[in-house]
Amino acid sequence: MATGTASSEVFENLRMELRRGCLIVAVLAQLRCEQYGYTLRKALADDGLAIDEGTLYPLLRRLETQGLLVSQWREEDKRNKRFYRLSAEGELILKQLLAEWESINASLNKILQEA
Amino acid sequence: MSKTSSRDSSSSRNSAELIDRYLQAVRFWLPKSHRQEDLMAELGEDLRCQIEDKETELGHPLDQAEMAAILKRCGSPMMVAGRIGPQRHLIGPALFPIYEFTVKMVLLWILVPVFVIIVGPVNLANSGGDWASAVLNTFGDLWSGLFIAAGIITLVFAMIERTNVHLGAEIKWDPLKLPPVRTGERKPSPPKAVCQFGFNVFGLAWLLLLPKYPVLILGPAAALLRATPLLHTFYLPFVLLSVVALLRSGIILARPQWTWFPLLSPLLQSALVLILLNYMIEALAKTPSAYPFVVLQDAVRDSPKYFKLAGIVNLSILVSIACVWFAVCISAIVQTRVFLRHVRKRTSAASGIASVGVR
Repeated sequence: MATGTASSEVFENLRMELRRGCLIVAVLAQLRCEQYGYTLRKALADDGLAIDEGTLYPLLRRLETQGLLVSQWREEDKRNKRFYRLSAEGELILKQLLAEWESINASLNKILQEA
Repeated sequence: MSKTSSRDSSSSRNSAELIDRYLQAVRFWLPKSHRQEDLMAELGEDLRCQIEDKETELGHPLDQAEMAAILKRCGSPMMVAGRIGPQRHLIGPALFPIYEFTVKMVLLWILVPVFVIIVGPVNLANSGGDWASAVLNTFGDLWSGLFIAAGIITLVFAMIERTNVHLGAEIKWDPLKLPPVRTGERKPSPPKAVCQFGFNVFGLAWLLLLPKYPVLILGPAAALLRATPLLHTFYLPFVLLSVVALLRSGIILARPQWTWFPLLSPLLQSALVLILLNYMIEALAKTPSAYPFVVLQDAVRDSPKYFKLAGIVNLSILVSIACVWFAVCISAIVQTRVFLRHVRKRTSAASGIASVGVR
């Protein structure tokens, strides 16, 4: 029983680590079209990558500080919302990250076929 | 119709109020920074959108319980603040090993011995022979002393962390000058070597300050006691020994490639300490006085109530000398064994290489 709990904990930690990098790519990819926080979260969840508020907003801040995103407060439906979109640098980085992703994927597939 | 609209507006007021209360609770746990309001506004907007979506899904305005369920899913205010706030630590991973080592050194190897050897006997002398109250007082003082010392060390390290003084992080280094790999030997850890050097500097400074500030060793009893000529005679050799220890730790730090040095030098240092202690014990045997180390100050010389204090402090110094002598003897034996093992390994490795060369 304890071993089962420990192994599920190990799996959960590894899953989180695996997701962390993928989430950044997913957020950057989603923000090729301008969106605000909630719609971005919904879009990610609809595509199978649910992300909570506590993870998304600090991540958006970090990506913006790194110059990969630009944001703007704007009124929509009589409410102020912060809209995000990919910056020119962000587009370049996303392209590089996607190429890296493809390369990792190809390597993994090759390794798994060999095994 | 008007009933529905009034219910709607009341629900929207309630939801706004509940969200504001929730955000206020989250804000409480966040550091004050210019980004806080921005983050709060975004989180609030997200929650309002969630509530709207839920209302569209259910086809009616949410009641308090339904809104509370959304906030509950979002997480407790403290947890949310922890996730959205900046990642903070008091002492970072780079400094932590040095911090841990310093705490251990100060608490276990300085504070506890000082209480056992000095404060305990002084408390016993002041308690008028009441052992129980002396032991309780000493434990009480030790307990608060441990907390204060640990607190001060933590504060100092937290300040170092805050000012971004990362020890060794900016040091220029050359991979080609790294010491060769030592097989089967314990690697001396650089933070440990730095700390040893630091402690030796501290020890030497403490020793140099003793003549002017005897309170550093005698505590409150310094007002009543003074050192005898015997202690004065051995003061300079002890200072020299402390200088030797400082040089030793300095060399270990500056020349990590001298793998033999950390093994041989403690042995030599132990030998010096034993020689000095033997001289001291000999001198002690020749001293007729019952108070060989400290005597009462002139002002209280004739006060019988302090005779016992002087006796206890002399006895504690004598016991400390005996303990140090015993500990140094044991460590000298261990150091000799470690050094001989090292020499044997070196010799067998050299002969192994030679035999491979012959083949």
